[in-house]
Amino acid sequence: MTAVAALTERMVLGALRDDLPFAILAPAGNFVVFNFGLRNVIDTGHMSYPQYLLPVIIVQVMLLGALTTVDRAARDQGSDFGIRLRTLPIPTVAPLTARMLYCLFRGALALLAAIAVGYVFGFRMLGGVAYGSAFAILVLTLTLAVSLGADATGTRIAASGIAGAQMGNSGGASQLLLVPQLLLVMLSTGMAPADAFPDWLSPFVRYQPVSQVTETLRGLAAGHVDVSNLAASVAWCLGLLAVFGALAVRMQKRTQ
Amino acid sequence: MIELNGVAKTFDGTIHALQDVTFSVPSGSVCAVLGHNGAGKTTTIKILSTLLRPTSGQAIVAGYDVVRQPAQVRANIGTTGQLAALDWQLTGRENLVLFGRLRGMRRKHAQLRADTLIDQFDMAHAADRRVGTYSVGMQRRIDIAAALVVPPKVLFLDEPTTGLDPRSRRDVWDLVSSLSAQGVTVLLTTQYLEEADVLSDSIVVINEGRVIASGTAEELKSRVRFSYCTVSPANPSDLCRIFDVVADLEGAQADREANTVSVLAPDGVATLGEVFRRVDQLGVELLDISLRKPSLDEAFLHLTGSVSA
Repeated sequence: MTAVAALTERMVLGALRDDLPFAILAPAGNFVVFNFGLRNVIDTGHMSYPQYLLPVIIVQVMLLGALTTVDRAARDQGSDFGIRLRTLPIPTVAPLTARMLYCLFRGALALLAAIAVGYVFGFRMLGGVAYGSAFAILVLTLTLAVSLGADATGTRIAASGIAGAQMGNSGGASQLLLVPQLLLVMLSTGMAPADAFPDWLSPFVRYQPVSQVTETLRGLAAGHVDVSNLAASVAWCLGLLAVFGALAVRMQKRTQ
Repeated sequence: MIELNGVAKTFDGTIHALQDVTFSVPSGSVCAVLGHNGAGKTTTIKILSTLLRPTSGQAIVAGYDVVRQPAQVRANIGTTGQLAALDWQLTGRENLVLFGRLRGMRRKHAQLRADTLIDQFDMAHAADRRVGTYSVGMQRRIDIAAALVVPPKVLFLDEPTTGLDPRSRRDVWDLVSSLSAQGVTVLLTTQYLEEADVLSDSIVVINEGRVIASGTAEELKSRVRFSYCTVSPANPSDLCRIFDVVADLEGAQADREANTVSVLAPDGVATLGEVFRRVDQLGVELLDISLRKPSLDEAFLHLTGSVSA
């Protein structure tokens, strides 16, 4: 436990001097840009655009935040510091656990920042404490699942030594993962309702995880959720958690 | 304290990084593993510090088998690599506290230990700056300090002085000597013969993944049976003229810094006589002419050369 606590603290300290301030500012920037860019373009019916938009901004920020895990995992795997960690008397999964705790910490901060900004522009949590907590838990579960996937990717890259990753330079991979991340967000019902997309695309748009999760988050914020949609979101999150979790743990081999 | 028995490591089934490596290091002594780049020095250290699994053979560190009891091995070793293995975002002090806590110390205890090490390593002026801003010598010092937060039974130093200026190198040497005086078993790798000579109680010479010689520095020198004849002129400007008259003899070389010309002396005193006659004819005033044992440098070249030949 001491090892996990010490490693998590190390990451928070390092991030404070690096990109943690950005993690907190990102939701505000994203929200303001999309809100003013799209609020008069997209028809979201009776729901105000800030109320409609904030969930996908949160999901987008969580996905972007998770991508930074690729670099952290690659660094921990490939750097001399990471190699030394593997010669210390600590559990093999301690560094992974610490990275994930840091991701949750960073996610929680970004979530708070997003909701604060949302409130300024008219977003409201109408469902009370229970719905509010469910909202936070769903967001953090998604963050954890995607972070585990990013972690497995980063560790794999560093271990195989592709593209200069031995120096902890996995910038290429996290840039590459931006593409599916952006596509998932853009081709979702997060920014515009499904009927705004062409017919051939709408089945994908409707059922992909970002759409399902943002729909559920919107419901939780409003205080009423569609049960089948909630089930789909929970299934997506737990499924991703299980698959990426298993992959990430399998990557943590200390002896070659 | 460290024992290797027939250790081999093969990568991808074809690259034989180590073959049948056998040697042991007694408790509290310093062993230098000497070899060129790629000889297998780092692979040896990686196996001993549980980072690599040997393909065959057995390795025991601090009484524990590196394959079957890696956790116990890790609890008893300290390691430093060729580059400083530190978190660059953290200060020197924060790094030391971190490594203390990773070895199971409570925060307060780790902080006290960090204070002690900072004093001991004379780092007070830099302890609260980020490690990324340190000079190479300072990084190395804090890196070694980080390996000593909990004094290990066995310390592995992989090329501890590579890239250091002479003063920092001297500091590392002093440190290694004092650690061994405290009973820590040290295994270090080096490409510098001088370092192996000064620091270690025993030397293992590795070439192309095999141990080609081991023993004390004196023993290695004596394995090269012939002697050298060395001449020093009273006036260093005569060095070239002396070299010219003995250049046809085997192994002739001039060392400007040491102000000597050396030739191999397979016939001992007879060679010395021949060299003296030739130099005498020049009419050069001599400071010294003598037969001497080969340096460790010459022994090393001879040992590694005889293998590849």
